[in-house]
Amino acid sequence: MMASAGLPSDPQAPGARAPRLLAVGGGKGGVGKTFVTANLATALARLGKRVVVVDVDLEGANLHTCLGVPSPQKSLADFVSEREEDLGKLLTDTPLPNLKLIGATHGNLADAQPSHLRRVRLLRGLRQLDADVVLLDLGAGAHASVLDYFLVSDDGILVLQPEPTSVENAYTFLRAAFYRRMRLAMVGHGVRQLVTLAMDQRNERGIRTPLDLLREIEATDSAEARRFVETMRVFRPRLIVNGVRTAEDVKLGFAVSSVCKKYFGIEAEYLGYVNYDDEARRSVSQRRPIVDLRGDADVSIYLQRIARKLIGLPSSAASTTAGSAAGGASADGGVASASHSVPPGGGMR
Amino acid sequence: MKGMKGIDELDHYELLEIPRNATTGEVERAYRIAKQTYGKGSLALYGVFEEREASAIRDRLDEAWVVLSDPELRAGYDEQLPPIVAAPVGRVQPLTVDESAIVAGAAGGAIARGPLGRAEDAIVDAFDEAVEEYDALEDDGKGEFDGVRLRRTRMFRGYELDDISEITKVSGMHLRNIEEENFRDLPADVYVRGFVTAYAKTIGLDPAIVVPSYMARVQDSRSEGPRGRFLARR
Repeated sequence: MMASAGLPSDPQAPGARAPRLLAVGGGKGGVGKTFVTANLATALARLGKRVVVVDVDLEGANLHTCLGVPSPQKSLADFVSEREEDLGKLLTDTPLPNLKLIGATHGNLADAQPSHLRRVRLLRGLRQLDADVVLLDLGAGAHASVLDYFLVSDDGILVLQPEPTSVENAYTFLRAAFYRRMRLAMVGHGVRQLVTLAMDQRNERGIRTPLDLLREIEATDSAEARRFVETMRVFRPRLIVNGVRTAEDVKLGFAVSSVCKKYFGIEAEYLGYVNYDDEARRSVSQRRPIVDLRGDADVSIYLQRIARKLIGLPSSAASTTAGSAAGGASADGGVASASHSVPPGGGMR
Repeated sequence: MKGMKGIDELDHYELLEIPRNATTGEVERAYRIAKQTYGKGSLALYGVFEEREASAIRDRLDEAWVVLSDPELRAGYDEQLPPIVAAPVGRVQPLTVDESAIVAGAAGGAIARGPLGRAEDAIVDAFDEAVEEYDALEDDGKGEFDGVRLRRTRMFRGYELDDISEITKVSGMHLRNIEEENFRDLPADVYVRGFVTAYAKTIGLDPAIVVPSYMARVQDSRSEGPRGRFLARR
């Protein structure tokens, strides 16, 4: 049964295509990252995607709980501590046939954060998983490892809540990610140092904002400045506002997006919001994603819409129903038939 | 270097994040939203812009509004604006991610997705585009409409009932009854039809799609109730 899980661990298997990598972060703990990740993963799986969801939050791992999976025997900790080299062997089944989990039970807390080299290996391994989408649930904070997962992903998604601490943390996270990304993009040693300097907000050169930094770089090296601007253009974090109660909260996403543009000069696309829902909170204690438990609840509809938007599907109510039906009926259909229910790629262009 | 501009260097359109051919309605909407975004105590500024900076931005917004809301001033302003430079900071590739990107798997670390700097592309205002996309994501405006869907769409598009009431001159109570489908408390169909039409228009839905399906619900409910048959007739 394990062997037929539909996810061969041989990355060189013919026809294997690199999955799309999505990272869900948010700086602050408790904003619903794991809730959002678990539900987006479930929604994508129900849309017929083969999804692997990975708990990268080695210190506060609980993604398995949200998905209704008992604490996994094998975990990312095995990879980090070099006990296992093949990520494919760490996959755990979930109640949904085309959704697999790589959990992160607390291994050795002493070396919870993987070394840089180990992170590079991990990222390479993730791209070799046989899946359509790999979703990473990032830990809290703006640690270098968290930032790297965010930056190398095809889409970095920030979850925030309509409250000051969460917004502040989201900007802190973005600022850290932004400067780290810029430093990676710069070629010259001197310019890199300038970026490093700018990361300290109270630096002696008075570089306070990304614009200040760009002006400094322009004065030094116009080729680097062009690189800076180009990198800025492709640095596209996406935003989800979780726990929305009022129209004002809904607008927060647009407002943050506008501020990102004026302050960082970057386009942060507002993916959508998820309303505050007591039932959703209860679903966590019921150990099942709300989109599975109550697919017709408002909160599920919003989560499903975000999922559709992520994979560029139209968001009509009719197709939501069709998608749910396909996912719901997949107990016998399994991976193969479910993936056939999605139109072949290329049609969108 | 045209890559990134400071707030002071933005022209009125860039400041409001709208294209130069924005209609007066779009200008007004953008101004209203921006005033909230950069308003005192706005949550979105937390930890980025200090009040002093936010206040400067608000002054600039007011200045932009004064000019752009007056056709004459706007025409004069437009005349002296330099022509649009290729690929200013607001220009972006489409924000949607297409299915093929997933299937093809964008081999390698695909931080740089899509071609860079396609300067020949039409200038697209990212904010408007995001709003449009967001709206599209929320509701495609097709199919059957009921009160719940109307309310959800309204909330999603950021309208308070009071806003709609002010614009349509329909009382908030009627609007609420429409959303909550308290059909018994609504006046005769001919009025409801008018209210729903105005409501739909205000939040950007097509009345030709919304009204028939909503009115069908009204009539169904009325033909069930004791007074129904009478009210359902004209």
